Amino acid sequence: MDPDFRRDDRRKHMEHAIVLPPEILGYIKGFPITNTLLVAWITMAVIIVISFLATWKIKLVPSGLQGLFEMVIDFAHTTVYELAGDKKTKVFFPIVMTFFLFILFANFIGLLPGFATIKFHGEPLLRSMNSDLNMTLALALTSAVLTHIFALYYLGIVEYLKKWFTLNPIFLFVGLLELVGEFTKIVSLSFRLFGNIFAGEVVLATISSIFAFVVPLPFYFLEIIVGFVQAAVFMMLTLVFLVLLSEKHAAEH
Amino acid sequence: MEILKQFGINPVLLAAQVVNFLILLFILKKFLYKPILKVLEERRKKIEVSLKNAEAIEKRLLEANQEYEKILNEALEESRKILNQSKEAGIQIMEESKETAARIIQKATEQALEVKKTETGKIEQEVRKHLGALIVLAFEKVAGKAMKKDQKAIIEREVKNLS
Repeated sequence: MDPDFRRDDRRKHMEHAIVLPPEILGYIKGFPITNTLLVAWITMAVIIVISFLATWKIKLVPSGLQGLFEMVIDFAHTTVYELAGDKKTKVFFPIVMTFFLFILFANFIGLLPGFATIKFHGEPLLRSMNSDLNMTLALALTSAVLTHIFALYYLGIVEYLKKWFTLNPIFLFVGLLELVGEFTKIVSLSFRLFGNIFAGEVVLATISSIFAFVVPLPFYFLEIIVGFVQAAVFMMLTLVFLVLLSEKHAAEH
Repeated sequence: MEILKQFGINPVLLAAQVVNFLILLFILKKFLYKPILKVLEERRKKIEVSLKNAEAIEKRLLEANQEYEKILNEALEESRKILNQSKEAGIQIMEESKETAARIIQKATEQALEVKKTETGKIEQEVRKHLGALIVLAFEKVAGKAMKKDQKAIIEREVKNLS
């Protein structure tokens, strides 16, 4: 057997379940519309509509959606406040909260029926947003860039550079390591989210192809937990990075 | 960069997702976080104010209760004082009236005695006035003869001198 054939065979065999890149549904003026991008837009629309509904008739005595969002936002706000302090909370909270809501809703919407089963020109029309590295990498990059922007803003250029470069050779080495760590952050953030959700998709597809009734149910529960945990992890890590980088470097001895 | 190709990384898609995120951030900040954080803050303030109010009300209630008790005690004392005073006054009035009555009785008795005295005197005088003539008349009846005028005068004078 020649290796090419084997690879082809394997690719054909796995194609219906495991495809790493997102499927392109079509082009608008040369701009590729992938199924994950479509889901990202749907997710945004859902979040925006729900938040409008929650704050449409905002009352001092909460009820329904307003109460739910108050609970979530109050909890997150307290968490950010405890870590970042009064002044930075105002800036950090919306960023961190948006990461959480976007990822959480995307993960949950990705579990709805119709995903990966409705076909459009032979490709699945919908695909869980975070099972595409494009999307998670974009979020991770946004997180990292925002982190550094706020570090620069709060510390000033001199203090910011001092974080990485010092005259002390040992700390210079540590600083360089940390600089590498900054790139690792992006990779770990994006691949963690991507890996979890993509793996979930694959597991669900595989289990469903074995036996589609009742059996996938526990895995759906598992995916709900994973979806929440990953959103929370992304949020907390972004928050921690934001806080750590925007703080002055500990005095060196 | 072979790995990026395998994952289907496309800079345009990355940019699209970044834009998605920024739009979402902007909209949610304006329409979700701001109103909800505002309402939470408002509620926190309101609760703080009402708790303070409740405390003040409780304090005032306590004060009012104390005031009420104080007033009640004062009124009780006052009434007791008034009662005592009126009792004393009553006793005094009774004594005074007794005294007055005694005085009046004494005066009346004295007056009566005096009246009696004068009356007796008058009667005596009256009796004395007529006694001479009576004696003369009796003497005339007994003796059977009329007395002389100067004899009569002597008798009357003597009678008058009796007393």
